[in-house]
Amino acid sequence: MALKALDIYKLLPKKNCKECGDPTCLTFAMKLAGGKADVDLCPYLDEKAKSILGATTRPPIRLVKIGVGERSFAVGEEFVLYRHDKTFYHPPGIIFMVSDSQAPEEIADVTVRVRDETFTRIGSDLRFSGIAIVNTSGSPEVFARAVATVEENADLPLVLITESVDALNAALVQVGSYQPLIHAATRDNFREMCAVAKKHNCPLVVKAQGIENLEALAKDCLAEGIKKLVLDPCPQSLGDYISTATAIRQLAITRAAPDLGYPVFLDAACFCFQDAAIALGIVKYASVIVTPPLLPESSKAALTLRQNIYTDPQKPIQMNPGLYRVGTPGKDAPVLVTVNFSLTFFTLQGYLESSRVPCFMLIIDTEGLSVLTAVAAGKFNETLVRDSLKKFDIENEVSHKTLIIPGYAAPLSGRIEETTGWEVLVGPRDAAEIGEYLHEVWSKRPGLP
Amino acid sequence: MGYDLHFGWTGTIGRVILGATRAEGGTRKTSYCIGGGTTLPFLEPDPLSKAPLVALEICDDSEFWSPIIRNYCGDLVNNVGAWANTAETVYGADLVRLYLTSTRLRNFSDIASIGKTIESVLRSTALPLIIEGSNEPRIDSEVFQMCGETAQGERILLGTAEADRYRSIAAAALAYNHSLIAQSPIDVNLAKQLNILVREIGVQRDHIVIDPYTGALGYGFEYSYSAMERIRFSALKGDADLSMPMISSAIDSLAIKEVREAEPSLQDDMAVRWEFYTGLAAAVAGAEIICVRHPKTVAMLKNAFDSMRNGAGFQGVKQDGTQGA
Repeated sequence: MALKALDIYKLLPKKNCKECGDPTCLTFAMKLAGGKADVDLCPYLDEKAKSILGATTRPPIRLVKIGVGERSFAVGEEFVLYRHDKTFYHPPGIIFMVSDSQAPEEIADVTVRVRDETFTRIGSDLRFSGIAIVNTSGSPEVFARAVATVEENADLPLVLITESVDALNAALVQVGSYQPLIHAATRDNFREMCAVAKKHNCPLVVKAQGIENLEALAKDCLAEGIKKLVLDPCPQSLGDYISTATAIRQLAITRAAPDLGYPVFLDAACFCFQDAAIALGIVKYASVIVTPPLLPESSKAALTLRQNIYTDPQKPIQMNPGLYRVGTPGKDAPVLVTVNFSLTFFTLQGYLESSRVPCFMLIIDTEGLSVLTAVAAGKFNETLVRDSLKKFDIENEVSHKTLIIPGYAAPLSGRIEETTGWEVLVGPRDAAEIGEYLHEVWSKRPGLP
Repeated sequence: MGYDLHFGWTGTIGRVILGATRAEGGTRKTSYCIGGGTTLPFLEPDPLSKAPLVALEICDDSEFWSPIIRNYCGDLVNNVGAWANTAETVYGADLVRLYLTSTRLRNFSDIASIGKTIESVLRSTALPLIIEGSNEPRIDSEVFQMCGETAQGERILLGTAEADRYRSIAAAALAYNHSLIAQSPIDVNLAKQLNILVREIGVQRDHIVIDPYTGALGYGFEYSYSAMERIRFSALKGDADLSMPMISSAIDSLAIKEVREAEPSLQDDMAVRWEFYTGLAAAVAGAEIICVRHPKTVAMLKNAFDSMRNGAGFQGVKQDGTQGA
């Protein structure tokens, strides 16, 4: 049963010391009540208050930070089973795997790729998240050398994959202070693994097959003092992964099994279906996905799916139709017609802003369909353009009668000219080219004074 | 066991039958019964639960088709019968979805030619069919009538009804006992509204497949993903007007920038991955027919779906042996 903020406040020291990062004990209590803060942030709580608060106020899935510095990332702190219930907050790290048996040049190549490869979509830079080094050789020295090779080439979050405590210790000599994720503590080695993780303050993956075993092992590791845990349920098939990951998420967010309240690890190399495992991990609750380096053709699709699924669904899909201004357009500024699908709107708006040409966006009501679809479905048509021009009184906003339509609407240009009496210019198909278009075509069009 | 993946739901996804074998009055080698689910996709405890179906989309006038497919398939795209046959025998599709793109030519009026096209496809493949009629309200009535009549007895799935044009297609489905696709623009309520409209003029629940519209990955797919999840929940919670199975076709996948501008040597693989990631996620959200256009996507999706079915996996989780086969 969750506690209300005021009940929690009564248990706090009421010193308003700000050491938890919040301005007052009351605001901290409100965060605790919402599952948005960890009770351990307060240094003055006695054990009794902690035990009352601990189980009910910490986020149902603990936040775990992997790595240090600019590329470090945090996973966990999720609250829902379905993104439309609220949103998914922390996108999974997609981590490329190398083996310590590979040649140093190969290891360096993969590292540099993850360091440098960037793919920009709707204003965000999408990148892979880190490097996992597997102790295939079984030798601590070889493992440590491979880890050093990665470290020499980039400051990336790391996953150290070995069940040998010796190999782990050898690697941590190199990277112990960078909080790599250790994979993995098993029933056989968990005490030693916990001791190492504790010494270096590293997050630790707990690996066991079957939910009960995983839960028991996580509990044992917590008892050893490790809180930054990640769960690897060792799925036997993709089907096994879906049901196990769903069960873990469900048990965690309902607090039915607090010892399962940690992010989930997925090794996409376990199955013959690397792309399928990655896609599945992204949509179904994986927080750390380790995979052999993706082929170029898979990279963009994987990163795009991750971006899509972790977009906040509470943002509306449709814009209100109307006239929108970019910058401070004058009477001679261009008028660009497009659909009211929010993604189209924001993409175009972004490129228009960066073009630095003040202009008008005339957003017409295509029921939230994209240009391509709206044209195909007949929703983007000449009568709608005519009615929108009239409704939003464009004639009195500008001193010219020229419209720029999207490239994909080119087949409609003649009909729009006939119906509206406005001259139609066909713009580019991609919003990315609109800046160049405005500079090259619009500002040099014939008939200008 | 300490957990339950049914979440207390009581509803069941409605069933729709696609295709008819000789014994069922048609000429197909198989018929499919989709729907019937009682929880989220791939979580059914029944080890025999079915994988989603994969449909290959083809057309009768390739001028309207992606150059990527025209290049990959070569002359095949100019012979719709051979294309349909290859979809079954080489590409391994479960269904063929035929788009009558010839009807999109200006002032199209040769309705009889559509009949011949459908006959040729029915002769060339023994798979159940989805047929997409016209895009033009002026000829809808004649086109759908011709589709329905030519495929009589085959229990095809006819596409695509929308809120402002569903009468011709519903009439053809009703007259010849076919099912239809009801498409609405990524919105649970609009999907429900359209289902009610279509039912009001006589189409039965077990003859409707919902298409919540699938935006391409990176171009609005997340909205479609959530719309599909929400439709599935509504059905599981018992909303009979949303309990029909779903179809997903991310038709813009081959036209988006990332695929179009890929290096020529990578373009096919890029197209396939884009369709694959979208199709897999759509299936997880609840779609039971996944439509693709690139032949190489078919096998990739089918293999993945096979491994995603719960049958084998569930036994791995349930250690006490109370579940599984």
